[in-house]
Amino acid sequence: MDTNNTTIDYKKERVAYYKVLVGLLLLTAVTFIQPHLFMTESTFLAQMTIAVIKAWLIIMYYMHLKGDSLIGVMGIFSLVIVATFMVIVIGFDVANFQFGAESHITGPASAGVEHATPVQH
Amino acid sequence: MSHEYIPEIATDRDGNKHEVQGWQDDFYGGKLGFWLFMFTEVLMFGAMFMVLAYYNTLHPEAFIEASASLNRLLGGINTVILLVSALTMGLSLLKMRVGDVKGAKLMIWATILLAIAFLVIKGFEWRAEYNHGIFLMHGEMLPESGMAFGKKLFFGMYFTMTGIHGFHIIIGIGLMIWLLKRINAGKVTPAHHILHWNIALYWDIVHLIWVFVFPYYYMIGAGGVAGGH
Amino acid sequence: MSKSYFDETHTAIGHPKSTFMQWMLTVDHKRIGLMYAAVMFTFFFVAVATAFLMRLELFAPGAQFIDGDTFNQAFTLHGVIMIFLFIVPGVPAVLGNIVMPLMIGAKDVSFPRLNWFTFWLYILGCIVALASLFTDAGFADTGWTFYAPYSLTTSTNVIFTLVAAFILGMASILTGLNFLVTIHRLRAPGMTFFKMPLFVWGIYATAWIQLLATPVVGITLILAILEKYFGIGIFDPAKGGDPVLFEHLFWIYSHPAVYLMILPAFGIMSEIIPTFSRREIFGYRTIALSSASIAGIGYLVWGHHLYTSGMADTAKVIFSFLTFFVAIPTGIKFYDWVATMYKGKIILSTPMLWALGTIITFTIGGLTGVTIAMIGVDIHLQDTYYTVAHFHYAMLGGVVFLFFAGLHYWFPLVSGKMYNETHAKIAFYLQFVGFNLLWFPMFIAGYYGMPRRYFDYLPEFQIYHQVSFFGAVIFITGLIYMFVVFFKGWRNGKPSGTNPWNATTLEWHMPSSPPPLENHSKVPYVDFNPYEYHHGEPVVKFDYETMKRID
Repeated sequence: MDTNNTTIDYKKERVAYYKVLVGLLLLTAVTFIQPHLFMTESTFLAQMTIAVIKAWLIIMYYMHLKGDSLIGVMGIFSLVIVATFMVIVIGFDVANFQFGAESHITGPASAGVEHATPVQH
Repeated sequence: MSHEYIPEIATDRDGNKHEVQGWQDDFYGGKLGFWLFMFTEVLMFGAMFMVLAYYNTLHPEAFIEASASLNRLLGGINTVILLVSALTMGLSLLKMRVGDVKGAKLMIWATILLAIAFLVIKGFEWRAEYNHGIFLMHGEMLPESGMAFGKKLFFGMYFTMTGIHGFHIIIGIGLMIWLLKRINAGKVTPAHHILHWNIALYWDIVHLIWVFVFPYYYMIGAGGVAGGH
Repeated sequence: MSKSYFDETHTAIGHPKSTFMQWMLTVDHKRIGLMYAAVMFTFFFVAVATAFLMRLELFAPGAQFIDGDTFNQAFTLHGVIMIFLFIVPGVPAVLGNIVMPLMIGAKDVSFPRLNWFTFWLYILGCIVALASLFTDAGFADTGWTFYAPYSLTTSTNVIFTLVAAFILGMASILTGLNFLVTIHRLRAPGMTFFKMPLFVWGIYATAWIQLLATPVVGITLILAILEKYFGIGIFDPAKGGDPVLFEHLFWIYSHPAVYLMILPAFGIMSEIIPTFSRREIFGYRTIALSSASIAGIGYLVWGHHLYTSGMADTAKVIFSFLTFFVAIPTGIKFYDWVATMYKGKIILSTPMLWALGTIITFTIGGLTGVTIAMIGVDIHLQDTYYTVAHFHYAMLGGVVFLFFAGLHYWFPLVSGKMYNETHAKIAFYLQFVGFNLLWFPMFIAGYYGMPRRYFDYLPEFQIYHQVSFFGAVIFITGLIYMFVVFFKGWRNGKPSGTNPWNATTLEWHMPSSPPPLENHSKVPYVDFNPYEYHHGEPVVKFDYETMKRID
């Protein structure tokens, strides 16, 4: 990856930058039409999938990780750790929240909640 | 280092020579170090996303309602701004690598302007929230207000995460100004551009965080309360 | 050739003439390690004094010397100093800095200036941590764990401690980052990962924990500060926040942190045992890989601190199950060490004594840990003296004992002098006896229900506290004795020569003693294993001028 002794194809790399930009813009557009277009029952999942694809494009091309296996493996390791934390805390603890019925924090705060929230449009 | 660094040579028992990697002039080492730093950012924001998901699981409806009330237009504009700024930063690095120092500096300036635009728009957004009575230590966020717990937590995390992200943008602007000074001083050159490379990486991770912050806050409620979970 | 790293140095800024400024601005890893040691042990004694104050108060039931609030601040001060200022940076910052680059044949760490910056970040953290001692509101009284919601409502100056812990966390991250890049990039040619000394493996595994667990606690502390001063709501039940989430986030770091403390200490053990048994280490790969797997599994066991918090039962069972797994790689290491000694020529020098003592104390600490990994037992023993004793057997009797072992082992390398072996051994026996007398009664007291962090207790617990007190007196005497021995050795010990222990690893193949500024005169080519002994003699020999093998 040392650029001191390798020649750079300026035009080719610039074209790659623009191609990725177009891809990212398209994906951003998709995020906006998605709630009305597809997977309307699971907006969250759809949005996060799009985000992952965008992130992959940025990491591989803008951050030049393509072809660097050492940092790639380290990156996957850190992501796996974060994912495991999430799975354990959310999937095992919160998903089996024990005192939901008597818990203060899950119950409604008080009556007359709805009107307090500013609603856009 | 004022003088050129010459790597040492180690000789094994068969007389073969092996170049020794010194800490000086270690491009890959510098890059590796910065990537490791970025993993700590991933863990930091990962933990915050975990907090968010924790309360999302406890209050799914309130989260969608609160998300629906955010201004998606401004959020979307900011997304595009960051996207373009990632391009300009990338192009500045590319120009630096091929030796076009002037072009590189121009592109860094463009990135700085886009970053400032992002912050200004963010400021307007926060102002609008404030006028709606939603801000830290203010109005509906106070303990005695009757807003649902889920919404309070959503907005609490919204201000925290966009705030910390905005703080990263400010640091990024500072870093880019420093980079420009280093380029002007001749310390960052096409032959020795690790600083430029790493600041470009930093800008990409700031963008990357936004790629996840944006949908989680602005878009999960876009389908209305009925759709999505 | 005769100039050592005490005589000359590279600096971060400029070329200062005065010796003092040369030390303050130095980027040399050996000097930085020494400065860490000086600062760290100063704070260590402050924390020991605080602990002794608590022991004194607990000598009899009722209040004698300090009131309950002061007692709360005392154990917080003790915990904060010991954890954040001493034991977390501990072995990596001192011995890792000094020895690790020498072991892999590097001239310095990968980012020497960052190393210098990290040291001063650490100093800044220390100042912020202790600054609140001198403010009106006083030092935090939350315990070093800062549990919400109490830490959010207490009127003491908890923000200082939170900020300090964040800064010290940053310093820890940067140390880990620096070491990871160093180990990946600067190993001498020919030195593959499985030819590295095991201390370097310990540092490597530790560095990953420093890098990938510390940010979690960093952000948790920031969230706690934002909660306290901006009311974001996430840990405050009045706004729907869940304090258990704070415990999750806190222990996601703080449990791996205990492996962060113990892994480099295990690395020290793996250096000392083969050197003083004059035998190649048994099961090199299993020790190296068990370091990595302890680090890996260590990420997933934090929940055993939360058994009584109201966490879901499913999660408790999973955490309990995973916790047992950590004992396996740890056990592998201990069996490997014992097997290394089998049929070896054991030489009972002071470092070896410390290592052998640790095998006893850490085994007690480790096995009692397995008992409280069980959910049912832990419900009984949570927050009792049993847990306190377990923790101190593992940390003091494991990490700190091995840290001392390492200090004795590498003392001649760092100073070029030798301490008085007889006196050092007396200091060891004093501390070993004192330590067991101090902590073992607490297992019993805790089993009978003595809760931790109380400044008063029922009369029936008095006997345990009094035995502990006498143990503490003996232990502290031994501790002071040991440092006097070090000090005297440093002042007027005999020159030790470059390799006083007949050790094999690269840090003992220096052209002069103490080592010169840029370490080895030439970088060697490494085509040998780290611990090669043949009939009790090191196999690999170097010409220290050219660093070519001459065996």
